[in-house]
Amino acid sequence: MPNRKILHIDMDAFYASVEQRDNPELIGKPIAVGGNRERGVVAAASYEARKYGVKSAMASSLAYQKCPQLIFIKPRFEAYKEVSKQIREVFEEYTHLVEPLSLDEAYLDVTENNFDIEFAMDVATEIKEKIKAKTGLTASAGISYNKFLAKIASDYNKPDGFYVITPSMAEDFIEKLPIEKFFGVGKVTAKKMHLKGIFRGKDLKKKTELQLTRWFGKSGKYYYNIVRGIDNRLVNPNRIRKSLGAERTYEKDITTKEEMILNIDSIADILIKRIKNSGGAGKSLTLKVKYGDFKQITRSKTLQEILSDADIKKVAIQLLELIPNIEKGIRLIGLQTANFEQENNDTFLGQLQFEF
Amino acid sequence: MKFIVSSEILLKKLQLIGGVLNSNNTLPILDDFLFQIKKGELSITASDLETTMVTKISIEAKEDGVIAIPAKLLLDTLKTFPDQPLTFTIDMNNFGIEISSDYGKYKLNGHDGTEFPKTPKLEKPSKIDADASILSNAINKTLFATGNDELRPVMSGVFFEINNDNITFVATDAHKLVKYKRADLKGDKGASFILPKKPLTLLKGILGNVGESVTVEYNETNAMFVFGSTKMQCRLIDGKYPNYNAVIPTENPNSLTVGRNGLLNSIKRVSIFSNKTTHQVRLKMTGSELHISAEDLDFANEANERLTCQYEGEDMEIGFNSRFLIEMLSNLESDDVNIAMSASNRAGILTPCEKNDEAEEVLMLVMPVMLNN
Repeated sequence: MPNRKILHIDMDAFYASVEQRDNPELIGKPIAVGGNRERGVVAAASYEARKYGVKSAMASSLAYQKCPQLIFIKPRFEAYKEVSKQIREVFEEYTHLVEPLSLDEAYLDVTENNFDIEFAMDVATEIKEKIKAKTGLTASAGISYNKFLAKIASDYNKPDGFYVITPSMAEDFIEKLPIEKFFGVGKVTAKKMHLKGIFRGKDLKKKTELQLTRWFGKSGKYYYNIVRGIDNRLVNPNRIRKSLGAERTYEKDITTKEEMILNIDSIADILIKRIKNSGGAGKSLTLKVKYGDFKQITRSKTLQEILSDADIKKVAIQLLELIPNIEKGIRLIGLQTANFEQENNDTFLGQLQFEF
Repeated sequence: MKFIVSSEILLKKLQLIGGVLNSNNTLPILDDFLFQIKKGELSITASDLETTMVTKISIEAKEDGVIAIPAKLLLDTLKTFPDQPLTFTIDMNNFGIEISSDYGKYKLNGHDGTEFPKTPKLEKPSKIDADASILSNAINKTLFATGNDELRPVMSGVFFEINNDNITFVATDAHKLVKYKRADLKGDKGASFILPKKPLTLLKGILGNVGESVTVEYNETNAMFVFGSTKMQCRLIDGKYPNYNAVIPTENPNSLTVGRNGLLNSIKRVSIFSNKTTHQVRLKMTGSELHISAEDLDFANEANERLTCQYEGEDMEIGFNSRFLIEMLSNLESDDVNIAMSASNRAGILTPCEKNDEAEEVLMLVMPVMLNN
């Protein structure tokens, strides 16, 4: 693979920054978007709040303990989507090879770009400036020769950061990197790796491909490669969705089956709406339940055929039957559909079609 | 209303048509069988609105009437009885049903049979007479190749192309295609329609055991299959079937002839080692040797086999989805098969080398999976 120039652009404390921009009273204050003092999770925290240890995806109650003056704000997704559209327009000016990861994050392949700018650093600087001018918000940019390193680079000196990892720096950089920072390594994998004596990139690098495949299956090969700075994943502008879900955290724990049925029904409605917007459901449905003590269980079912709207509701209720101890109190319910039609995937994997 | 019927005969009839019933119906009465009695004849109907099946039995009954009886409850009950006469007594005021057997009495609630959706009458139908086993064979040979893509509903059914001197059945999911032609079936005029998967699946199960002739009546929107005392009416898929003849390549200089069973078993073994998403196997033809291989790079799995074959043409390599090849080869009966190919990115044509039946002509087409080397 020829030397590529990949950017990873990530907005700084996105939701929180939009809120601070639109409401100057919040500037300089610790704020959390999402949840309230008692319930829910923090979707985003301002940098002021992060100083207290408040992080995104943290339970709001815990965030409140860490920072009692934390201001909780209801999310305004319309506003975020608007900004997301603006930044995407900036990206598209430079290249059509934009792979959005979420509303505020994207990979760009600028090896060839619309302005024939030679240095990726110049592209990144321009993009950051344009985003600032258009939205009043700051972004961090990571530049490298593959996706894995570009993402790590953008995280390196946030906010308003800018970092380049060149091929000659890569090895040293990865060796020092804590494995939690590796893309694709979550809490569970990190723990597993710690047990194997893997704490940093250099520990991971000592393991053979066979060992890693044995321990982590398919991902083992991926870890083996990325720790050597090899990541040939392309920037894919039409990334296919692998799953689609909807979930809700409740003000008060749910304790009866009747309430569960009602709430599952309304979450199913949201999921069905999202499926309509995204163009298709999968064959499997997963019901996720988080108890009052944060213990989480999931139950799944896979059908032969793509789930219809009616199937989603029916299967969700069937799965509910498999959830024990509802009376202990349930704080969160989620539904997710995955396992999208094989036929569509085949097309991406080299399976040719008749030209009808 | 009251009637007496043999439990075994009734069960057989209900099982014959019960496949139509959907597990989740928008209209609750569709969970029921409709019982209609007219002059000592009981006709039982099951429907999902798209497909409706009706079957008849003679019974002992003094009066006429209609009642809808919950299907699952009735089937579950009947399955438990050894053959014996059952008496159904129905209170037409509240649609209460009482069944008396040798062992005792069972009560259940029915519904007003007049609320059961009416099946539209087939207006101005054309007609085909066919042997049940031939029709069943045609369905068996094609059904597996139909697609599931909701965006291309026409491909989810089997295409019936009717001519004066033959009928061709076609199925495709855009990756594989089966064309099955019978010279011993014909219509009185040229016509075509697309029959959905569900009625075909039902027919496949039933026709094999019927052993008699079937009459197919059809018009622009519906088709009806009549065999013995049973009939099935279904709505046709609306739309234009793809021009399948256009995708059958005509220039295929490379011709591989190989034993069907040997090839099938080899692919079955090798495919275990193939990538779990693409199911890709690689066929490499050199001289009179066929090399079949598969690999899964993610797990460092790989398999290689060699078969002797007859091969005419230039050496070539081509990748196929092994699931497709297995399905297709399993659906043929001949000792040897021929695969005609031109290039690794063009469809391969699979045909049997000997005819199982003089009147049949079968051609299967499969698109390759691109090899990445």
